[in-house]
Amino acid sequence: MKRILSWAAIAVGVVYFFLPLVGMLEFSLKMRRGEYSLDAYASVMGDPQFQATFGYSVLMACLTIVFGVLVVVPTVFWVRLKLPRLRPFMEFITLLPLVIPPIVIVFGYIRLFNTSSWLPLTGTTFGTDFLLMCGYAVLALPYMYRAVDTGLAAIDLRTLTEAAQSLGAGWITVLAKVILPNVLVAVLSGAFLTFAIVIGEYVFAALLDRPAFGPYLVWAGGNKAYEPAALAVITFALTWACMVLIQFATKFSKHTRMPR
Amino acid sequence: MRSSRLWRALPWNGLGVLPFLLFALLFLLLPTANIVAGAFVDSDGGFTLKNIFNIFTPEIMNAFWLSIRLSFTSALIGCILGFAIALAVVLGGLPSWIRGVVMTFSGVTSNFAGVPLAFAYVATLGRVGFVTLLLRDWFGVNIYALGFNMISFWGLVAAYVFFQIPLMVLIITPAIDGLKREWREAAEVLGATGGQYWRMVALPVLGPSLLGTLALLFANAFGAVATAIALTGSLLSIAPILLFNQIRGDVLQDPHLGYALAFAMIVITGISNGVYVVMRSRAERWIK
Amino acid sequence: MTVFKTLTSGVSLLAMLVAGAASAQSLDEITAAAKAEGNLTTIALPHDWCGYGAVLEGFKKKYPEIAVNELNPDGSSADELEAVRANKGNTGPQAPDVLDVGLSFGPAAKEEGLIQPYKVSTWDSIPAEAKDADGFWYGDYYGVMSFIVNTDMVKNVPADWADLMKPEYAGAFALSGDPRSGNQPLMSVMGAGMAMGGKPGAESAAKGLEFFAGLNKAGNFVPVAGKTGTIAQGATPIVAAWDYNALAWRDTLAGNPKAEVIVPASGTVAGVYVQAISAYAPHPNAAKLWMEYLYSDEGQLGWLNGYCHPIRFNDLAKRDVIPADMLAKLPPAAAYEKAVFPTLEEQAAHKEAVTAGWDATVGVKVE
Repeated sequence: MKRILSWAAIAVGVVYFFLPLVGMLEFSLKMRRGEYSLDAYASVMGDPQFQATFGYSVLMACLTIVFGVLVVVPTVFWVRLKLPRLRPFMEFITLLPLVIPPIVIVFGYIRLFNTSSWLPLTGTTFGTDFLLMCGYAVLALPYMYRAVDTGLAAIDLRTLTEAAQSLGAGWITVLAKVILPNVLVAVLSGAFLTFAIVIGEYVFAALLDRPAFGPYLVWAGGNKAYEPAALAVITFALTWACMVLIQFATKFSKHTRMPR
Repeated sequence: MRSSRLWRALPWNGLGVLPFLLFALLFLLLPTANIVAGAFVDSDGGFTLKNIFNIFTPEIMNAFWLSIRLSFTSALIGCILGFAIALAVVLGGLPSWIRGVVMTFSGVTSNFAGVPLAFAYVATLGRVGFVTLLLRDWFGVNIYALGFNMISFWGLVAAYVFFQIPLMVLIITPAIDGLKREWREAAEVLGATGGQYWRMVALPVLGPSLLGTLALLFANAFGAVATAIALTGSLLSIAPILLFNQIRGDVLQDPHLGYALAFAMIVITGISNGVYVVMRSRAERWIK
Repeated sequence: MTVFKTLTSGVSLLAMLVAGAASAQSLDEITAAAKAEGNLTTIALPHDWCGYGAVLEGFKKKYPEIAVNELNPDGSSADELEAVRANKGNTGPQAPDVLDVGLSFGPAAKEEGLIQPYKVSTWDSIPAEAKDADGFWYGDYYGVMSFIVNTDMVKNVPADWADLMKPEYAGAFALSGDPRSGNQPLMSVMGAGMAMGGKPGAESAAKGLEFFAGLNKAGNFVPVAGKTGTIAQGATPIVAAWDYNALAWRDTLAGNPKAEVIVPASGTVAGVYVQAISAYAPHPNAAKLWMEYLYSDEGQLGWLNGYCHPIRFNDLAKRDVIPADMLAKLPPAAAYEKAVFPTLEEQAAHKEAVTAGWDATVGVKVE
């Protein structure tokens, strides 16, 4: 009985989730009247707007990941090592991006960093791009911080650091050559999650007027007939690839871990 | 190296977290504080509660009430169905590969929110959507003639539930994992039936986790704006879209109202997440 | 590099100001100054609206030294004014240089001090009713309100506004946006109001709101911004839009699905849009050069190619400059003969009443 109910629950879940995916795949193939074709995909790939905005978002995602790693990894390391009493405070801060709706955060950016303020970031293209990257980093912060925190909890931080220092390593060497390789898996999973978030993000890019993939998707949804479904399929495939890569990286790390 | 006592007494350890704190201050705390402060400031810069009072117009109240109803309903349904799926995967006696697949799939679909979800939804249940045409051609059922509408309350709930269920599955599965087998065995030794075990042991233990996740799902749906914009072209009267239109085009003809709207949104999601944090700390008593 | 550009443009601007303060700038001076500025920021110019895509390409080909930065293509007239307001003193890429808004938004912008005056060299051939005497705003093109119908989904094409109330059009009709912020949906409401017997102005607003309230209650109104995508995906089978937009969208759909454009039999309202330069434009000379281009024969014919009637249409026709095939593509003249061109006062009264009453009267509720 239990097994039947379990299978039933899974079946309901499968139907509920697969139908939209099948639906969007089917709709994306209907561009040519009366027959299935890949016309919508060809139209999407050949659209210079798609290439430009997608390239922009991929670049921003990579920059955000690097920036996030540079800010988060040393911080988590330091807190674990020297400032354990600061942990609840850090947890609170990393929970804030989930509490404050992103639209409120970007509204704050527009008001705080306009050209009549003390830090006129929106005055130049570069400044606005930097602001957007910081916004993305804020959105990804809870996931990145949590992933790295869990990763660092699994290794014996104090011993490793002291061993490296007794061999003469400075802080940078410790971080780059000892800590980072050990948490690479955690960092990678945070990185893929960040990638997925940045690619699909809409509100920040729309209100800061930057040519990112999210606003392009919304624009396509209103102005194009069959391309939006093709875009949704492409986005889904990308997100799936990111998640699979995370799983792959995690499995891979299990093999390289020495048995204790 | 300087060796004065004063030098050594300074909190040098804080320097390590300085970049992070600077980042959080500049790009998270200050903007939010700016908005909160702006909600209480009028055109001359003086303190006022007028902006807050101005929120209580029928139009804005309707938008917020709709947002609250939509978020709560989708969170509740997501909670129940997600819990059922998680139970099935962890305790349902299914083959072990199912768990991995379900977890990966949940990870993907919970991130599939936003604009692509709206497209998938239209492609499935829209006027010429896959399921609509399927039902019409195979079963003779025209859901639109029966009154179905994607932009109706239940239509939107259906769209939101799409990313609520996987989020629930992802969060509640570790909690169900924490239900120790020893408790089940102890209950059976003492003569409890399956139902009694669930009613008196498992559900009370899982309770805080369930409630906390419900609160998290609520806050998640409340702030979600991209899906709704993609579905309706920013005409739908929910709180985040109202704020979006206010920021973009000042549709309410009062610039200060934007601050007050944002502040109200923070209050609602803040309360909801506060519930989540409290519940989580209570849950961690039993489930480590 | 940016600092250098700013310095050079600053120096040349200063020179312009000193030289140009006394007399109006010549086209050559403007061109040189615009090229020194190197950038033009436009806002809310969809590429399929009046053939703006081709017009922008033409401008870029003629002046390759000027990079065009396009903001928010789906923006409404109100979004454009808000962008100017929000970016006062901001010389960054979010500040628009030039605006293209509905007629009723022009005087409002002038009053608020959001725009600066400029008279293009072809100023005299612009009809007097369509421009501000002081040169703050000037009409650019016009069209009449029409319906675009997805004939794959709708078998009987509605002939008039009143037809939309029929039960066969349940969940079928949509506006192209929010009437409180966009000029196109605002004028759609006026068209409906006029068809119900109201004179343009406060009456058309009252009757229009009443019409849409009834449409909403009957379940025929869809609260979604209608466009090519939503028409094809079936969410909005019938959309009210300017005839030039409806024809351009029909072309984009390219028969899949099939679409038809009809002008409603009554309540034929014509709408003029106006151009203006932002008072806080970061690149005022590039903005002026853009205006000169738009109002040259080349620019006006570019709009004509996009199914619009450019504002200098009569002048162009008199000088026999319009190619015959372009003329043939235009929507039939019959609709334009009985179209009503509301005056500024009528439009302002209508706008005020609709903005105030839309949410309360029509009250689109999600149930």
